[in-house]
Amino acid sequence: MATATRAPARSIPCLICETQNQLDAIVCTNCFAPMTLIQEALVQERDPCIVTVIGDSNVGKTVYLGFLLDMLSKRAEDFKAVPKGAYSVNLQHTVISHLAARQFPPKTAMEVDQWLWAYYQVSHHRRGDKIYDLVMPDMAGEALAAEIAAPRTFTVIRSLLEKSAGVILLVDAALAGAGSPQPDFFALKLMSYLDGVVGGKRRQLTKTPIAVVLSKADYSPDCFDNPRSFAKTNLNRLWNICENRFAHFEFFATSVVGSLGYGADESDNVIPYPLHVAPHGILEPFEWVLARL
Amino acid sequence: MALKLFGRSKSKGLRPAPADKSGSVSSARRRHTAEFIPTPRMTLDEDPLKRLIQQGRFSVILRDEARWREQPKAHLVIAEAKRLLEQRMALVPAGSVAIPQTLFAEPGAPEIEIEVEPFLLDVHVVTHARYQQFVDAGGYDDLDYWPEEIWPHLIEFKDQTGEPGPRYWRKGRHNAQLSDHPIVGVSCYEAQAYALWIGQRLPTEAEWQMAASWHINSSADLLRRFPWGDAMDNNRCNIWSSRRGGTVPVSEYASGAAPNQVLQLIGNVWEWTDAQYNISDDVGRPIVGEMPMRVVRGGAFDTFFETQATSHFRSGQIAMGRTFNTGFRCAMNLSAASWING
Repeated sequence: MATATRAPARSIPCLICETQNQLDAIVCTNCFAPMTLIQEALVQERDPCIVTVIGDSNVGKTVYLGFLLDMLSKRAEDFKAVPKGAYSVNLQHTVISHLAARQFPPKTAMEVDQWLWAYYQVSHHRRGDKIYDLVMPDMAGEALAAEIAAPRTFTVIRSLLEKSAGVILLVDAALAGAGSPQPDFFALKLMSYLDGVVGGKRRQLTKTPIAVVLSKADYSPDCFDNPRSFAKTNLNRLWNICENRFAHFEFFATSVVGSLGYGADESDNVIPYPLHVAPHGILEPFEWVLARL
Repeated sequence: MALKLFGRSKSKGLRPAPADKSGSVSSARRRHTAEFIPTPRMTLDEDPLKRLIQQGRFSVILRDEARWREQPKAHLVIAEAKRLLEQRMALVPAGSVAIPQTLFAEPGAPEIEIEVEPFLLDVHVVTHARYQQFVDAGGYDDLDYWPEEIWPHLIEFKDQTGEPGPRYWRKGRHNAQLSDHPIVGVSCYEAQAYALWIGQRLPTEAEWQMAASWHINSSADLLRRFPWGDAMDNNRCNIWSSRRGGTVPVSEYASGAAPNQVLQLIGNVWEWTDAQYNISDDVGRPIVGEMPMRVVRGGAFDTFFETQATSHFRSGQIAMGRTFNTGFRCAMNLSAASWING
């Protein structure tokens, strides 16, 4: 008679790309996501929600994400948030320590193994104290651009977006407000890519909630007064694809730096300095996405 | 005299109202547009002296007392002007300050030592209600109060409806719900024009730092990081971590007062000074703004880092900028209040 005892699993699938990894693996051998993510998720017996922050290079994704995590861990707006693992604190630590010293954090490296990941358990009384396991990686804008230009260059991006329960898209309001078409085109490409990855049938609207965050909005005060109107005027292509292809989208304005100065380095490259920090509109998009998970 | 020099009227340990848990910092922006109740126009006295008092321009009377003495009942109005000055302004004694010259201001970084003469400083930052008097009196149309270089730009200083006035007002009126909150949405030039109109001026940067750090000439050589002492306490000021989500009335946070009862030097709104913002990196290369900048001090309700809301922290704001978190208070020379020194 055969024994009923099951052999212990020797490997577990990565949460992001589903590659099988050894039980004691620290990061996924394929996408470099921390394996503690899946180990924690298994312990919690809940499916984690992935919220992805995407946008062009230099749009402010790292700063936005760092501040979001820091505000959550400071219980802003009565959120409760606990980092699951010390690695989850690295991103906010880097962002906050640089800005406190009046410097911007270094650019996120294009190499996937250099990305910082955050895994937080978040709850809010307005959501009935339901606990959300949120996984938020800080992706490089160049990597996103490369994946859009040549799909499957960065398979982890595709896997992440496929599994994302919500997306926060950052768009440079300062550039858009100054008349540059670049933010609109990049956002249009990203949304088109996203629609292809997570979209349903041709006539069905994509259900993933999309918070479009107009960053550096302090440069365009009108943007803060009415983000929707600003987007309709200055990001019309993005506005149209949102309306035509996405069931749940909203526009928000955000800024982190209260005042900006410019210096130069030894090679006469211009260096921006945040003279003081005054974050606005950081939590609202996140709360909006959370309400739709 | 009853000038608040050493804080004889104790603050009674007043605590601020509980934080608005539902309010967010960005709600401060919405506050300027939602539920706008225009404040009614005040009826002004026909008597020019009484009108000056009504408008809060007591310094204009006191600067030129002899001119008004022939007016009927002038002595009563002059006495009232003195009473108002003593109520609204406080004496900041002589002292010295060290102004950091580099962005990072690490220990040993270059500083400039400045001796500060005694002067008078507003106890409260200027409110919407006080600023309304300037707008109602046609201050934006009177070129006497504006530097010539700014004349071509005066047309840009308009409110939400295109009327002359601060950025967040409508039809030349402020929101009655914010009457006792600090005036915001004004550039450095608008702040200077108002100060000139009431017969005062903006404080210099050194004066502002002197008032906040209280480094008076004494053998004790005490230097404060905050008006109330050396440790940050977000129950004594309105910064991001105080969770108020926007500006609060200028009379709040009595427990954060300086020894002479000047309130809210830290937090609530950044304060314009009359100084150009000149600063460099740690090897002396200049750091500049996209447009000329003026020094702002003290931090605001949205200041995230407590190290950026101290008596020593310097920041800059574009002089033409009209932000929702920058206001001002006025100062005047002690010599303009001659009866104080006898």
